[in-house]
Amino acid sequence: MMLRASAMTTDTEVDLQGVVGNKTSAATGIAYGAELMSFAESIALRDEHSIVESRDGLLAAAGPAVLVDAAGVAANFQRMVRIADSIGLPFDYMDSTMVQEIQQELGLKRFASSRHSLHPDEG
Amino acid sequence: MTAFDFSALGFAVRRDIPEAYSAYWEVLAAPGNWWTGPERVAIADASREALSCEFCVLRKQSLSAYGVNGIHKNSGPLSGRVVDAVHRIITDQNRITQTFVDDNAANGLSKAAYVELVGIVVTVFSIDEFHRALGISLQPLPEPKPGEPSFELPDALVEDMGFVPTIPAHGATGKNADLWVPGSAANVVRALSLVPDAARGWQQIAGAQYLSLQGMQNLVQDDNRSINRMQMELIAGRVSAVNECFY
Repeated sequence: MMLRASAMTTDTEVDLQGVVGNKTSAATGIAYGAELMSFAESIALRDEHSIVESRDGLLAAAGPAVLVDAAGVAANFQRMVRIADSIGLPFDYMDSTMVQEIQQELGLKRFASSRHSLHPDEG
Repeated sequence: MTAFDFSALGFAVRRDIPEAYSAYWEVLAAPGNWWTGPERVAIADASREALSCEFCVLRKQSLSAYGVNGIHKNSGPLSGRVVDAVHRIITDQNRITQTFVDDNAANGLSKAAYVELVGIVVTVFSIDEFHRALGISLQPLPEPKPGEPSFELPDALVEDMGFVPTIPAHGATGKNADLWVPGSAANVVRALSLVPDAARGWQQIAGAQYLSLQGMQNLVQDDNRSINRMQMELIAGRVSAVNECFY
């Protein structure tokens, strides 16, 4: 949702399929989008080989300052997802039309943790 | 204070990142609200052991997260119940249930102690993940400090979401007025507020790794960051999707 909101704020066209791993989509409207997406994915998967490969790719393409900030954001969300699921948090804006469209587009209701936010007859 | 040294990288790391990590290491070593300093450091150590726990691998592959019996890797002093909670948060977090938290509470791991434990596990994990992302060795855990927990609870609590009581959105007042602007807290900001220091811990780290609560209002680009908000949210979204996090 925040990706869509920030794109709307800057009047930038983005493709949300980048969030689910499409490199071409990730690069649409976002500088170094493909490299950032691959780096984030490898960190979340915790695969040593792909972390090295994606880190080298991002460093070569965007430089060390971008690499450091990207590592910080990825590490931050490795925490945030665990806070949300460990505490069983419901999503705050389930009534938002934009949120519902994004959840539909990305197929997020298939995730087990959606049970904290959905009514029993949804999903 | 423990110094986090990133000089081996050969390029600069924003100064506020090692400063935030060093400050958290001090807090980690000290007595908390529900755990002693040695217990808090042991919880941090258990979070690292979870990543090489064979039982966690077996359970992750199982259809049921609660139907598999086994023994976790555990070289420290913590009970099996506590280690199980730590390992689930690291390796199988999206199958944690209200029943799991309630059962723990009925058997010695209170909801307040669980919340403090969650705070330690996720914050240390996040700092460790930054190191792994950059390909550098993990920081040794701090030497625990002596002393007893405070066993202090916030005054006003509600049970309107999630598995544990929290401070309501309008309830961040008095000694907890720094947690958020009253009335404007997202659920994730309130999540660990049963133990306010646990909420403060992750907020301070988030302010360095991502954005402060105030900084999140800026949807374009923070002056102290080399990536804009869209780039940040692409990373955040991909990490969340791989973790199958609906929130």
